[in-house]
Amino acid sequence: MLAITTPYLWYTSRATGMVAMILFTLVVTLGTFVANRIGGTIVGRFEINELHRSLSIVAIVFLGLHILTTVVDSYVSTGLISAFIPMTSSYKRVPVALGAVAFDLILAVWVSSLLKLRIKNQTWRFIHWFSWLGVTTSLVHGFLTGSDARHGFGLILVGLCTLAVVSAALWRFLGRPARAAGRTALSPLAAAPAPRLNPKLTPSGPRRPGVPTSSGPFPRNPRPPQSKARR
Amino acid sequence: MGVRRKSGGFVLKVNPILCDGYGHCAELAPDLVRTDEWGYPIVVAVPVPLSNLGALASARYAVRGCPRKAMHIERVADES
Repeated sequence: MLAITTPYLWYTSRATGMVAMILFTLVVTLGTFVANRIGGTIVGRFEINELHRSLSIVAIVFLGLHILTTVVDSYVSTGLISAFIPMTSSYKRVPVALGAVAFDLILAVWVSSLLKLRIKNQTWRFIHWFSWLGVTTSLVHGFLTGSDARHGFGLILVGLCTLAVVSAALWRFLGRPARAAGRTALSPLAAAPAPRLNPKLTPSGPRRPGVPTSSGPFPRNPRPPQSKARR
Repeated sequence: MGVRRKSGGFVLKVNPILCDGYGHCAELAPDLVRTDEWGYPIVVAVPVPLSNLGALASARYAVRGCPRKAMHIERVADES
């Protein structure tokens, strides 16, 4: 195993880790933009999607540099194995383990996106949800491991990234498109307002048997069942 | 420069089950796709000649840019 030690490796590791943190925060935020269907007026939706995809590649390159410099630097005994398998590093066991977990999750998301044409869409989506877990873990890893993350500029940076991720997650949850309400292309009638079922408000006029009325026991245009998938 | 096909055409096809109405295709291939009032694509059903390289390129962009990978290009031969 290559083992060099020079402060420059450490500097590179710190700097690339910081940049990777910023980039992954941006990638997740842009992914939220895509999922919440932002764009189409000033900036095209496809442009946000393209930026999301391209920035993720840049972020992965920086993450690779971050891990490579950490592994090559023999000042701390963090080997190649502990980059993938958690709890194998004697140096800062738990924080480095969090980094390994984040790396594995990001790898899973990346590989699933590379295989997007070959795997089922549900599989890809399921794996893509783990990017939230990955970015959260990496932020905690950055805060616990980072030599600069406890004070000054680094702390502000970690705080800003955390704020961005948390607000993106909230926005993703609250602002999700209302597809489950039945507003799909195949059921345009579902966009009509649901009939009122309050008995006090339904007019109870004379009813001929056999003729369905709008105020009958069955709603004429029932609201489709709320699907479990929110979109 | 590739080989320029003189015959045949293509149709951009959308899988309506996969489609979630993101609307990226209508931005990437505005000549081939327009959206209905719910944001779902209405694709030109008439085959476009393959010699129309601009349309083919935009169709490829639409296929690549779809977040749900719901589009593909279908080649059709000339009837003659």
